[in-house]
Amino acid sequence: MSKVSVTGLTKEFGDLTVLKDVSFEVNKGEFLCIVGPTGCGKTTFLNLLAKLIPATKGTIYIDNEEADPKKHNISFVFQEPSSLPWRTVKDNIAYGMQVKKIPPAEMEARLEKVIDLVGLSDCINLYPNEISASMEQRVAIARAFATNPDLLLMDEPYGQLDLKLRFYLEDELIRIWTESKNTVIFITHNIEESVYLADRILVLSNKPTTVKQEVLVDLPRPRNILDPEFSRIRNQVTDLIKWW
Amino acid sequence: MAISKIENKTAVKIALLEFLRSKYILYAISLILFIIFWDISAKMNGRFLPRPWAVLMELINGINEPIAGKILIVHLWYSLKRVFIAYAIAIAIGIPIGLLMGYSKLINAWIKPIFDLFKPMPPIAWISLAILWFGIGETSKVFIIVLGAIVPVILNSMNGIRLIDPSLYHAIRMLGGNSRQEILEVTLPASLPAIFAGLQISLSMAWTTVVAAELMGAREGMGFIIIRGMSVSNPAMIVGGMLVIAVTAWLLSVLMTLLERRICPWKTELEH
Repeated sequence: MSKVSVTGLTKEFGDLTVLKDVSFEVNKGEFLCIVGPTGCGKTTFLNLLAKLIPATKGTIYIDNEEADPKKHNISFVFQEPSSLPWRTVKDNIAYGMQVKKIPPAEMEARLEKVIDLVGLSDCINLYPNEISASMEQRVAIARAFATNPDLLLMDEPYGQLDLKLRFYLEDELIRIWTESKNTVIFITHNIEESVYLADRILVLSNKPTTVKQEVLVDLPRPRNILDPEFSRIRNQVTDLIKWW
Repeated sequence: MAISKIENKTAVKIALLEFLRSKYILYAISLILFIIFWDISAKMNGRFLPRPWAVLMELINGINEPIAGKILIVHLWYSLKRVFIAYAIAIAIGIPIGLLMGYSKLINAWIKPIFDLFKPMPPIAWISLAILWFGIGETSKVFIIVLGAIVPVILNSMNGIRLIDPSLYHAIRMLGGNSRQEILEVTLPASLPAIFAGLQISLSMAWTTVVAAELMGAREGMGFIIIRGMSVSNPAMIVGGMLVIAVTAWLLSVLMTLLERRICPWKTELEH
């Protein structure tokens, strides 16, 4: 059964067509990565999915209903840090759960778990301007995980993190996803990351953006980046993205 | 033995240098040098520039010797009272107008041309009209101070709303927040520091304007003291009045900074 179903999605900014007639489905519990050349409108694409900006044409259905953040349990990790400056680290992470009215006891338990997961236990009482950019991004990731969303949208969430943290959080993401069975749409420009994470990769074309091709990644997890099959898929995706 | 003596000497030297580089010591040295310079200038040209000592004596005298029937502290209180009344009015009118202008493009389009017309007009330019309209009493003074104080309140409240990072709204919306939560969680706290900065500028504007307003036909207040000093030809009274005005302005701004730290604790500023 499909979780997300996108039909004929088109976005125009004046004369500029950013997305042209994009259609695809995401299965329930699937981990979908979206890759594409820089500036091809990946972020616009996700903003449309999340209903942050209106589409020019086309429909987005989640669970066979028109997508609506107020109704569907969606979480979004933005490319830029988006924590609230007036809330401490802990209160920022708790905010999504407060909106969704999670009972206090449950909230405390989840908070402790997720704060520990992203390694922010030492700075729960600091304000966002007192921590580094990579820590702020971890706050956003923790806030998204904490609400236990059915649909997790991630827009290059690990772009600002150092390599070690990135590998660690990629593994953690897979672990959480395996446990919670939620659906993930993950945007990245890092091809290796997409092959490492995804069940299926959508490769986007240059503007006006369409889905160029789908690549299935049928490899057991945890994946080994030295596996020849892994390299083959990575090269395949790279060739699809090449415009030179 | 000899080596340790030399070492001790360098240690003392370094400590002394550190001491001299400390911010507060430099502040003190700067002030003392200024007072010495002032004293020397006054000594050379003593008729219209009072010496620091004379000003201090004048201020001490003012504590219990009335000027025009009121002691110095009462004059100060009159000025402060005018400022506070006008300031309260400016805040009560200015913040809602500024917030509405920031929130709605339509309201902004209505108010902006009029506001832009009046904004650059110095409040003092209104004195004659104010006296014609309200007479020479309190109302005309308060009116002029309100005119001066309201501009930064409106400007900063408006910009406070307009310059909010839209990604913060996105974050709230994505977590399922409604428009009430957007206002409570983003609009209000995000605009608070800017509004507060406006209140700070506004208070110092109000304080500047009260003195100017009192130069015209007041019987009490700090502006009156200065005019009085001129008419009885007592420069020490003028400079003493100026000092009280400056110190009061400084105290008010310190008070506002402390208040801001209480209200916006997330906006910790780096000490330079």
